[in-house]
Amino acid sequence: MPNKAASSSPTTPQPPAKPWWLGLVVVLMGAICLYAANELANTARYSAIGPGLFVTATGIGLILLGLLLLIQIARGEKFEPQDTENAEGDTPMDKRAFFIALAAALVPVFIIELLGLPITAMVSFTLVTLAFGSTQIVLNLLVGFILGSASWYLFSLLGLQLGDFIPLLGI
Amino acid sequence: MDTLGLLLQGFDVALTPTNLFWALVGSTLGTAIGILPGIGPALTIALLLPVTVSVGPVSAFIMFAGVLYGAMYGGSTTSILINTPGEAGSMMTALEGNKMARAGRGAAALATAAIGSFVAGTLATLALTFAAPYIAELAFYFKPADYFALTILAFTSVAVVMGSSRVRGFIALFIGLAFGVMGIDTMTGQPRMTFGFADLLDGMELTVVLVSLFAVGEIIYVASRYRNQKDEIVSVKGGILMSKSDWKRSFMPWIRGTAIGFPMGALPGGGSEIPTMLSYTLEKNLSKHKEEFGKGAIEGVAGPEAANNAAAAGILVPLLTLGLPTSATAAILLAAFQNFGLQPGPFLFTSNPELVWGLIASLYIGNAMLLVLNLPLIGIWVKLLLIPKPQLYAGILVFAMIGIWGVSGSVFDLACMTLIGLMGYVMRVYDFPIPPLLIGLILGPMAENQLRTALAAGQGNPAVLVESPMSITFLAISFLFLFVPFLIRRLRAVA
Repeated sequence: MPNKAASSSPTTPQPPAKPWWLGLVVVLMGAICLYAANELANTARYSAIGPGLFVTATGIGLILLGLLLLIQIARGEKFEPQDTENAEGDTPMDKRAFFIALAAALVPVFIIELLGLPITAMVSFTLVTLAFGSTQIVLNLLVGFILGSASWYLFSLLGLQLGDFIPLLGI
Repeated sequence: MDTLGLLLQGFDVALTPTNLFWALVGSTLGTAIGILPGIGPALTIALLLPVTVSVGPVSAFIMFAGVLYGAMYGGSTTSILINTPGEAGSMMTALEGNKMARAGRGAAALATAAIGSFVAGTLATLALTFAAPYIAELAFYFKPADYFALTILAFTSVAVVMGSSRVRGFIALFIGLAFGVMGIDTMTGQPRMTFGFADLLDGMELTVVLVSLFAVGEIIYVASRYRNQKDEIVSVKGGILMSKSDWKRSFMPWIRGTAIGFPMGALPGGGSEIPTMLSYTLEKNLSKHKEEFGKGAIEGVAGPEAANNAAAAGILVPLLTLGLPTSATAAILLAAFQNFGLQPGPFLFTSNPELVWGLIASLYIGNAMLLVLNLPLIGIWVKLLLIPKPQLYAGILVFAMIGIWGVSGSVFDLACMTLIGLMGYVMRVYDFPIPPLLIGLILGPMAENQLRTALAAGQGNPAVLVESPMSITFLAISFLFLFVPFLIRRLRAVA
């Protein structure tokens, strides 16, 4: 299998940028919860406990935690990416691979209803292998199609509703 | 004895050809996914859930238990042969086991791991057999306030123990709670946090979130940081027999490992990392061959492996008796119970005894199957490691897609899969633990129900939450979990 060339890392180590956006996103999530709680009707309440109680508590919790996180970021909190099998946290991010892998997950949203599971599986399978550096596109398309078709058949037999083989063609 | 009688009835259920078949399927699948990277027991059970609807709950849970135990067995194989622990609980096994393999003692390392897993699994299942009915009896006396306090304990412990930062652990928990409130409120019928999407009226499915975080998030993360190096698989020389000295040195570590792993696995936030590390440290201190530690000491494999397996059995105690999940795998098992319209807890022991005791009995059978599957067939399992990683991860995405599409047939769920997968990627980059999110999602609705029921019964007076000794105890332990590490750090700084 052809090897993927590793992304070149900068020769001078740069101090990591502070991820302020992370804290802000958490605060925003909390704000969304509070907004949703506020939208709930006050009529469905008994003994001052309504459907908004938990939503409000969650919102307040997220806002407070988001602010705590922002304080930690300001104090220089370190964020070490996790080590996992086949990936080390200190490896620089390969943006190309990231976007191709993301595309592999996103593509089914647009094509599965028209082209069906086997073809969608073929496309996503090939995109993931591409993200991992495989250049045997034809082979991967074939393997992906066989895997998708076999899975579609087998899981349909087991009772899953996976739609037509190729809905656009009515097969 | 009542318990023995019930267990025998359980064997009646577990020993039917159909259930033996499902135990074998689960054990085989579990071993395979324990060996393969990128996929673990929680994700596997989530992907199997839609398929098991036609199978029936007893057979389904027997299969899931096989997957759970099997993954522990399979994980030790990769730890020993290629020095890659699949999960935190296998780190100690990798430390000593791989050194043993490199010194030509791979067969003994694999044997002590497999036999230790069998011994620990059997002993832990025995402990489950006798402890579970008593804990379930106790739970009959729990009031809503007690259950609420217990969920607070579960939340606090998983958020604090899992991961390197309490703030990030709690953020993950609260995101899970936010996902948990989406959908129609069961008490008032009002839609909450649906933002006009009809697909969200049924709430956020745990399966969608789990599959997205574990499969999609992992794939994007690994692809973007792929370390493309061939795994150096140490070949297994010699037979699979352990010498007399190996047996002598492994026996007590197996027992001690079980004694450490089982209660810790049963505790909220216990996990498998702490018991395996404790076991390793204990065996190192007690060993007559201390100089071998770090170079391939068999006690360093035997003890932690037993602790790991016993902890896996331990998670079933709070799950079956209280309906309380203490890990990601337990969370998906709880979701599986709910899928079948069952609620684990004390009532399950009386309403579905054949399910509970059939499941417990099948754990003994599964353990025996796994010993047979793992020891003599190790050469075959190792071949799985030859599957090229790009195609392996691509296959995982295909199954993830099938798992989500097959359940709902909804493009909305596939879009959520991508978004939540992206969130899973960010969580890995910035070191947010994932299990608290899942625990928040699955337990949040239960916590809310118990809270609102307790407050309604108390006419809205929050003092009702701290009335009973049980709820005070649980809340006090939660408080300790939260503040004791902080106090210890402060005291150390002052000293």
